[in-house]
Amino acid sequence: MHGAAVVVGVGESTYYKRGGSPNTEFQLACTAIRRAVEDAGLSMSDVDGFTSYMDRNEPVRLSAALGTGDLNFTGQTFGGGGNGAGAAVTLADAAISAGYAECVVVFRALAQGQFHRYGQAGRPRRARGASAYTSPYGMLSAAQTTAMQTMRFMHDHAVTQDSLAEVVLASFEHAQHNPRAIRYGTPLTREQYHESRWIAEPFHLYDCCPENDGAAAIVVTTPERARDLDTTPVSIVAAAHGLEHRDGVRAFGEANFPTAHHRHVGTKLWERAGVGPEDIPVAQFYENFTGPVLMAMAEMGFCAPDQLNDFVADGNIQFGGRLPINTSGGNLGEAYIHGFGNVVEAVRQIRGDSTRQVVGAELSLSVSGPGYAPGSAVLFGKV
Amino acid sequence: MSENVSSETVSPENVLPEDWAVPEITELNQAWFSSETVTVQACAACETLQHPPEEICHRCGSMELGSRTLSPTGTVHSYTVVHYAVNRALADSVPYAVVLVSLDDAPELRVIGNMPGVPISDLEIGMPVEAIWEPRTVDDTTTVHLPQWQPR
Repeated sequence: MHGAAVVVGVGESTYYKRGGSPNTEFQLACTAIRRAVEDAGLSMSDVDGFTSYMDRNEPVRLSAALGTGDLNFTGQTFGGGGNGAGAAVTLADAAISAGYAECVVVFRALAQGQFHRYGQAGRPRRARGASAYTSPYGMLSAAQTTAMQTMRFMHDHAVTQDSLAEVVLASFEHAQHNPRAIRYGTPLTREQYHESRWIAEPFHLYDCCPENDGAAAIVVTTPERARDLDTTPVSIVAAAHGLEHRDGVRAFGEANFPTAHHRHVGTKLWERAGVGPEDIPVAQFYENFTGPVLMAMAEMGFCAPDQLNDFVADGNIQFGGRLPINTSGGNLGEAYIHGFGNVVEAVRQIRGDSTRQVVGAELSLSVSGPGYAPGSAVLFGKV
Repeated sequence: MSENVSSETVSPENVLPEDWAVPEITELNQAWFSSETVTVQACAACETLQHPPEEICHRCGSMELGSRTLSPTGTVHSYTVVHYAVNRALADSVPYAVVLVSLDDAPELRVIGNMPGVPISDLEIGMPVEAIWEPRTVDDTTTVHLPQWQPR
């Protein structure tokens, strides 16, 4: 599958704070998809597939509303959370590589101002199934779940609170250069980070992704088709989506707890790509919360867990450093579109149109959904 | 506390509201939530212990599953202190701690709980704990005994 599918278009709606969108979530989805198809120089009638994850905006409705061609492929992934961002790209890559479809739109639309808020929880009197073991104890949100993982990870590897801060500071610094970013024009200092209130220790407010409204999309097609288009094609060099045996089982019962569930994904990705972390000049790490970003960084092989404090210090993960991450501002600074903005930004780094462009980047990594299984990652590169 | 974090508030109670969620009791989880013992699922065929209980043995695939009562002691493997109430009903309960306890008799088994009455500032990873049971009555009919933890 290496290089058998290419990204030829990207599109985003305007990004809003939760509740700020004048458009419905479905309209946001349509806008992002239209912009991606237009960006590719394709017609809507060329689109013959859709993939996504946890999305309410079904291909039946999208296809009718947008005037796509006949559909040859639709798919969503299993598993909760933003791990689907990379996994949905993997599905599109598989559909194109296998010849099931020729032009697949991968998208995610999420308006938390109009539907369920990810940072809130219901109040069931009786907790059923897996939640019977968590809800009665007030363990209800993703922040709390990943806090439990992160607390042990920090304990085992002497990772400091300041290293969590580095992830936040990188995202916010990069957002200051991106007019699409919700945090554009509102920088954050290290002091403001440390002074912000606790959400679930060890996470402060700024360790947590915001709740936003918006949509983002990319268009994936064959290299042959891309040759006819007046756009810079971006190769899907390799993709991986999966888990190590027992990753993510209930009550943190995996033998390798705490894990971001990216060890297996990392192994497979580098094996398929024929390159390693040392070859990567820029990366987008899905920041649901900062702790899982650091865990995923280590599990993807960028450094040993015990070296994380040094790896992220001194601006090393900011623009100009060894590995700039989340160069659009990411989930924390640009917008939380369930991590699909990170995928779009990884593509932009190869196209050369990022607002924090790493000059000459030949490879660009996107790592999705750490802390939840299965994990996923996509490596983009020049055609 | 880990040196990385600080908890500025001590909640002497560290308990959730009386009318907060309780587990729905099923055949599968009855022993865990009703017996007032640390009783986990044990495979009748290969004797593998597992928790939470499952419909099939994760080791050998047997669907014949029994139970085994273990020592009610363990160690705090990790924890978080929740400061932000994700539901309004918990607004007066924050901050509260959620602990992940590794059982002494089967360290690979981990269970989630609270430590009612224990000051949050006393919590630390590696802390030895023992189980207590918190009775919760639902609709004046069912009494659930929630496993909880105390220092030992």
